[in-house]
Amino acid sequence: MKTIKLDKNPLKLVKDVLNDLKASPDLGIYKCVQCGMCASICPGASQTEYDPRDMIRRVLENDETIIDDETIWDCFSCYTCNSICPSGNNASEVNQILRQMSIEKGEGAQKIKDFCAYGDSFMEMGIGSIPNEFFNVMVKDVGNKYMDLKVNIEDIRTDLGLGNYILPKESTDEIEAILDNSGFKVRLEKIKRCKK
Amino acid sequence: MSKAQLNKNKSNLKIGVFLCRCGGNISDIIDMEKLRLSVKAEVIEEFENLCSINGRKIIRDNIIKKNLDRVVVAACSPITHEKTFQNYVSPLNPYLLEMANIREQCSWVNPDNITATEKAISIVNAAIEKVKYSQPLVPILRKTPNTAAVIGGGISGISASLSLARQGIETYLIEKEPTIGGSMVKVGKLFSPEKLAEECAMCLLNPLVNEAVQNKNINIITNTTLKSAERRAGNFNLLIENKARKVITDRCISCGNCAEVCPVEVKDSWNEGMTIRKAIYKPFSQAVPDVYTIDPENCKKCGKCQDVCRMDAIDLTMEDEIIPMTVGSVVIATGHKTFDMNKRPEYSYGRHKDILTQMELARVMGVNGPTKGELLKPSDGKVPQRVVMIQCVGSRDEKPGGRKYCSKVCCMVAIKHANVIKQHYPDTDVIIGYTDMRTPGMYEKYFKYAQSNEVRLIRGRPGEIEEKDGIFIVRLEDTLSKEPLEIETDLVVLSTAMEPSEGTVDVSNILDVGLTEELFVKEKHSKIKPVATEVEGIYVCGTAQGPKDITDSIVQANAASAKVSELINGGVELEPFVANIDNSKCNLCKKCIDVCKYKAAFIQDNMLSVDPVACVGCGACLWECENNAIEIIGQTDEQILSMITGMLKDKKPDETRIIAFLDSVGYVSADNIGINKINVPSSIRIIKIPSMNRIMPKHLLHAFNMGADGIIMGEYPYNPMYSKTKEKVNGLKQELIKNNINPDRLAFYKVYIPYFRGLANKFNKFNNQIIELGKIGSKIDS
Amino acid sequence: MKTIPDKDILLFKSCLVNVEYPGVESSACYIFDKVGVEYYVDKRQSCCTGLGHYYDLFDQLSTTALAARNFHIAAKTNHKNIVTLCATCYAILKKTVKILNYNEDARNKVNTILDESGLPEMEYTQDDMDPSKNIFHIAEILFNKRDEISKYITVDLSEFKIATHHACHYCKVHYNDTIEGVREPNLMDGIVNAMGIDTIGWYDHKRVTCGAGFRQRFTNKEISLAVTSEKLEVLEDKNVEILLHMCPNCQMQFDRYQPYIEKKLGKKFNIFHLNITQYIALAMGADPYSVLGIQTHTVPIEPLLKRLKQKYDLKEDNRLKTLKSV
Repeated sequence: MKTIKLDKNPLKLVKDVLNDLKASPDLGIYKCVQCGMCASICPGASQTEYDPRDMIRRVLENDETIIDDETIWDCFSCYTCNSICPSGNNASEVNQILRQMSIEKGEGAQKIKDFCAYGDSFMEMGIGSIPNEFFNVMVKDVGNKYMDLKVNIEDIRTDLGLGNYILPKESTDEIEAILDNSGFKVRLEKIKRCKK
Repeated sequence: MSKAQLNKNKSNLKIGVFLCRCGGNISDIIDMEKLRLSVKAEVIEEFENLCSINGRKIIRDNIIKKNLDRVVVAACSPITHEKTFQNYVSPLNPYLLEMANIREQCSWVNPDNITATEKAISIVNAAIEKVKYSQPLVPILRKTPNTAAVIGGGISGISASLSLARQGIETYLIEKEPTIGGSMVKVGKLFSPEKLAEECAMCLLNPLVNEAVQNKNINIITNTTLKSAERRAGNFNLLIENKARKVITDRCISCGNCAEVCPVEVKDSWNEGMTIRKAIYKPFSQAVPDVYTIDPENCKKCGKCQDVCRMDAIDLTMEDEIIPMTVGSVVIATGHKTFDMNKRPEYSYGRHKDILTQMELARVMGVNGPTKGELLKPSDGKVPQRVVMIQCVGSRDEKPGGRKYCSKVCCMVAIKHANVIKQHYPDTDVIIGYTDMRTPGMYEKYFKYAQSNEVRLIRGRPGEIEEKDGIFIVRLEDTLSKEPLEIETDLVVLSTAMEPSEGTVDVSNILDVGLTEELFVKEKHSKIKPVATEVEGIYVCGTAQGPKDITDSIVQANAASAKVSELINGGVELEPFVANIDNSKCNLCKKCIDVCKYKAAFIQDNMLSVDPVACVGCGACLWECENNAIEIIGQTDEQILSMITGMLKDKKPDETRIIAFLDSVGYVSADNIGINKINVPSSIRIIKIPSMNRIMPKHLLHAFNMGADGIIMGEYPYNPMYSKTKEKVNGLKQELIKNNINPDRLAFYKVYIPYFRGLANKFNKFNNQIIELGKIGSKIDS
Repeated sequence: MKTIPDKDILLFKSCLVNVEYPGVESSACYIFDKVGVEYYVDKRQSCCTGLGHYYDLFDQLSTTALAARNFHIAAKTNHKNIVTLCATCYAILKKTVKILNYNEDARNKVNTILDESGLPEMEYTQDDMDPSKNIFHIAEILFNKRDEISKYITVDLSEFKIATHHACHYCKVHYNDTIEGVREPNLMDGIVNAMGIDTIGWYDHKRVTCGAGFRQRFTNKEISLAVTSEKLEVLEDKNVEILLHMCPNCQMQFDRYQPYIEKKLGKKFNIFHLNITQYIALAMGADPYSVLGIQTHTVPIEPLLKRLKQKYDLKEDNRLKTLKSV
């Protein structure tokens, strides 16, 4: 049997979520009535075990195991739940905050390790790019013409009268400095070091 | 007595001061001897129990023998005994008595003899100073004319009219449609709090309608809307617009020949647009008045109806008419409309014929509806295999276009329709998709009854309805089994929210009655003043006030008519402490009218008037009046200034004194401090003021000039003028800064009757703060 | 209805437009030049971080600090009205403005980061930007100019059955600022209608995501494409021939993966994918290769062009051959 123990801070998890920088000031977790409207239109819920309603319930019940629950990684960030929630809640935003909590705890870092190349590219050029591993899959899925396109992109852009999309050195230096001082550089390294 | 005379004579006034020992409650703490010697008056008497019959004799004998002009009773709180002592001062006018509260606000909160006695002296002095400016007054008696207008002819308006008429009040029942009856005539069946059965709506309504027709006190005026309204000293002058029916009511025998030949076909709103009617029509067979009406928007004026009418009842040249009327009271019963489904397109309403609202389903199942009561799908005329009802459509929804509230009746409506379906079509599966089934009180039994009728319930709020190969798919999560679910069905019914009707908003605007955030008619106090609007003499009932069922609407209608009757029969006796206008100074700038949330001020015949029934004497208008044309009777500047003078005139150099202006709630709370014997700093001197809006810079500056070291203002936050007061406190602080007074010397607190301990704490805290700031005039102020 | 600008516009470059569908940008410029919208593109502008943000790789503070830098560029160049080509840029920028305005602590942190990076001139002051009055999606600008656009139509596209796919991050993130419908988005339908062409309007799944789901396309490809397939099947049932897009990420999901899904399901979808900018530019008579950039599409647009009265010099399957080979 589950017991709701006497606890000095029974709403700690909700409060932590609400205090996160990502949380909108009007994020209405407390107002949730568990109607399930979010889950009824959620692509994650229809395709996987992810259930935004149940995720909110567990946050409200201070169930910290939700942070390491695999299902939270199945949200599509499509915000449909946000656009219709009759109680003024935003499951999508809560999901993103929980994922960050998971990353900070270390477990979630594995989930995003493969995306680090995007960060490297951003640090270097001020523009993100699809990590190689995934790019190769895309070439396989889409076909070689996709590779041709990538090789010829500069020329195509020239034909279209568009300039170089690479940022000037001065700008990439600024961006690198900002990402260094914002802690992103350290964060990225930490994620890279995490063990799968 | 004119004010000039009063002022001239005030030093010669003979004042009697009567001190009460209150069986030791006062005299054990206060040095009565010293108190007696410290006040100046024609007569100073002391007695053990002034409120006793013997006390009455002493007061009355002195008034008669010594020819007293004014009386001060220094005893307990006026809250408990003012009425008693007002009787005791007869033959003097009762308003020439002033009470000094030296028990609750002095001896009971000040255990120290010396400071308590000093405080008592100043409290008595304040009363003496104030009573010099008191005037003989009579309570205001309001008489209201024996007429009322009820706007809206649904079940609420009909019920209110009947109740008024049965009490002998002449009632005008004004309805914008060609017939009275409202939504109730359309719903077919009714649910009831007690019965586990559905009753025929028309059968219950018809006798009421007939009585309304026959009652000579009721004038039913259909096809008519309110155009304008003016308030004149308790009366309402209304202009109503009667849309030309183009059928002469007296001649029409309702044979229907006209409609048969009319070539124009339009959607019939009586059947929620599911059937057609003609441009000349009678909404339904039992319509009242029982005559045909031409819908001017659709009539092509072909004249065919005129040709067949044997009664010569049709007059296509008939024009709209504006009718003036004067009534004593108004009842708003303008009803509701249902949620606009365009705001929730994901439910595909309007894209498919077999997605209905509950009202449309009511028509489908109505014996006088499009299918003569058979449950047939509009698309193919077949009985549905399954009906899925969706609750909270537009209700309990914070998203744009949604309604945050619960529409209150939809759970019962869904259960009612589900029961009717299961009784007649047991093979049709009925599923209600709900978030919470709300069936309070006896309705719970009806809910159980539905369950036993095999109505099925799934807990989940659907996100969308799709159509695939002629079958609807309702998508929801079964939240109890945590399963995303697709329900196949061939009929969907949406339980749409109740919203205020356009008429509710229009009529309220015309009558200048406040609306809630959701645009329902706002009650004066939703808890303890139901059906009263912010405007005295205007009441509300039914769904114009908020979502509710028929029973609640009738209860409210009866309550509203009882309030109208109270005004007419009893009249109302009210304290005369209201705004008084000096019309020689008034420039009709109307600023007072704009600021008054009680809507008490109005202009009549180029003169500003105040409705003494509506005015509470809060004084907010005084701030706005550039020409000082307004005073508050019983709270004139002289009276307030003299009370301040009385409280401070004997202040010693080393003493701290704080004036606490409290409204009536704050004053009772301060009494409660005394009743509970909680100590209060001896510096506190309480002056009762009806609203903090009355306090103006001159009052504060006078108090500081007289030596006050600090001032507290305490007001109950749930009065209509509170927000205004809050704004003003900042202005007052600015005024203090301009006069080199530290603004921290002024504090503004919320007060509540039960939180007297909080008020005592605030007194203590503020006292310490003022001691830290030092005496008034110290360096910190400049 | 909010006020939509037609000048002082910083046309905000998108990482996916840059390298996947650059024709979206050139088409946008083509339309803007025709109908007289004043805009500017700044080579210093960085990416919004959106993809990284929704890969959960970027933290909110870093995203916000980089946004402050871009806002500074917009303000300094007197082009404070940021117009994005991508729905995620739109949502990310709006969110960062909101944070910078209401969250004093975050604003101070961002300003400290900028100071420490030697960029004190880039510090953000509260309300420098207004989330509702300075951040727009290009489809809003086009909607606002729809009557003007309709005057320049030279190519008849009325024979195609058209449906619209409205980007989630435009409609559903900051729904209070969304115009022309959140629950039934009609922004692009409104533009197309103004051009004298009907769309199919509502269809089941109209507001459903493209399925990309950021990480899902890469780490959960099967479920990601299952969502995309469902939508394609509904559209195919309705015989839709052109699906209009307003976000390069959605466009990628449908255009790049449609042949893959066809192979998997063993059926053919006869649906072309065009961005709303490409569609308008085409209707205005722009060249398919040098303006629309159809050579970057996976589902070839040439068969669509062949059906038009207008004749084009089509390069068909050889469109990249003249260029470098791998």
